[in-house]
Amino acid sequence: MDGHEVAIRMRDLRKVFTRDKTKVIAVDDFDLDIRAGELVCLLGPSGCGKTTVLRMVAGLERKTAGELEVAGKNVTSPGSERGMVFQEFALFPWRTVRKNIEFGLEVKGVPESERSKTSSQLIELVGLKGFEDAHPKELSGGMKQRAGIARALANEPAVLLMDEPFGSLDAQTRNLMQKELLRIWSATGKTILFVTHSVDEAVFLADRIVVMTARPGKVREDIHVGLPRPRDRTSREFIEVRGKVLAELDEEFEKARAKELSPD
Amino acid sequence: MTGPSETPSLLQRFAASGWFRYFLYSVSIVLFVGMWHALSWRLNETDPVLATYIPYPVDVAKAFIASFSSPIPGPDVYIWTLISASLKRVLLGFAIALAIALPIGLLMGAFKTVECLGKPVVELIRPIPPIAWAPVFLFAFKAFWGPIAVVFVGAFFPLLINIIFGVRSVDPMLIDAARTLGANKRHLFTKVIVPSTLPYLMTGVKVALGIAWMCIVAAEMLPVRGGGGLGYAIWTITDIGRWDYIFAIMLFIGILSILTTGLAGEFERRVYKWMGMK
Repeated sequence: MDGHEVAIRMRDLRKVFTRDKTKVIAVDDFDLDIRAGELVCLLGPSGCGKTTVLRMVAGLERKTAGELEVAGKNVTSPGSERGMVFQEFALFPWRTVRKNIEFGLEVKGVPESERSKTSSQLIELVGLKGFEDAHPKELSGGMKQRAGIARALANEPAVLLMDEPFGSLDAQTRNLMQKELLRIWSATGKTILFVTHSVDEAVFLADRIVVMTARPGKVREDIHVGLPRPRDRTSREFIEVRGKVLAELDEEFEKARAKELSPD
Repeated sequence: MTGPSETPSLLQRFAASGWFRYFLYSVSIVLFVGMWHALSWRLNETDPVLATYIPYPVDVAKAFIASFSSPIPGPDVYIWTLISASLKRVLLGFAIALAIALPIGLLMGAFKTVECLGKPVVELIRPIPPIAWAPVFLFAFKAFWGPIAVVFVGAFFPLLINIIFGVRSVDPMLIDAARTLGANKRHLFTKVIVPSTLPYLMTGVKVALGIAWMCIVAAEMLPVRGGGGLGYAIWTITDIGRWDYIFAIMLFIGILSILTTGLAGEFERRVYKWMGMK
């Protein structure tokens, strides 16, 4: 990969949910290209359909119309070339950390010796050494998400889809995990599509921040952050970008609120 | 009133200790036996005929102890023979119920079509008390298998309902996670749905074992006899009017039910521990 090839391609992507016989357009006219190796944050007011976009890329939701390709292939169902990390971790409670990480390899039929080699490397990578045999219940939130990331990486996906992965962590752990994610990202070179509602998180992590409109979700603004890493949250440049993104988001938030107050 | 600065009295320290709980348990038993004794005594004074059916607790205790070393009058067999006959039926009926409820429950929980096919029949048969089946089963399957069939009906539905509920309660996020990791339908079933259902299955096992004991005793009492068992013994002893022994056997049944349910509870704890869920 030369770093310029398109990993995820979305054109006129559309998703319509039918609830109680009324149609809700969650995502409409959604256009976005994500290049291989990029870290892109999807940001938007709650209910704007950012998670829906991510779930469509994962293959967990079917698109209603439009084009959606990952590595040049049309997405119709989940696949091991796309790993997903969930906000509530979604670890199998009856499996140890190691067994959680090996799940994808197990269903692929990878022999045990190879599985444990891969899981050992990943345990090392995400910093869970010494907790291989712990069950999720015994782990803190941050450690659970480390296991969640390692599990998604075990299949060696080209794309990592992250759905507000640090949303349920406390502020300190959250900041630490953001740094850890950047470390893991630079060690693995994955393409990452990261959904968040935190402007601060997006500016800290992303190459590009895609701000979505209020429902139906479209791309409102595609912002190249362009700050060198490691980023300093207190620097003037950081605060500038943060202010710009926040202004965009505020406008959409107001629109969403106005719509809520006066439904058509 | 004692102030906070004073050292707690002996009574307060006792109340705070773990022994206090066992003290209260003992009080519960002593009160119950006391009231029972008072009732028997009162009946002996006022209505001696009725009193013969409510023996003194001390007589029941004597019969209970005597059962360990000598045959039960009436059926004239040892208590162990009776227990093993009933226990065998309870376990057989329960095992058959589990073996059939497990696949049906998993399928009904997982597939809407199977559920719609099964539900009307299940909902029709479920409210029928298991003992209502006893005449049919006793005539059809005779003294040994008849009561087993009654136990089967009694244990089947709590197992089935809990398994279906367990499958329904699978966290959809775990299904999503497994799918993104490359799991196919078979993997989802064996690696996500079945383990998620296990705790619910264990609840069903405990309920079903309790019901199994109720079914077996009732079924063994019915007029098609010859298979032995505790229910059969209770009914046979009425011929000679040894009510002290009848109560002693009732006590055995209660203890056996506690033991089997306790064993299931211990098994449940081990399963949970093995699964890392406790």
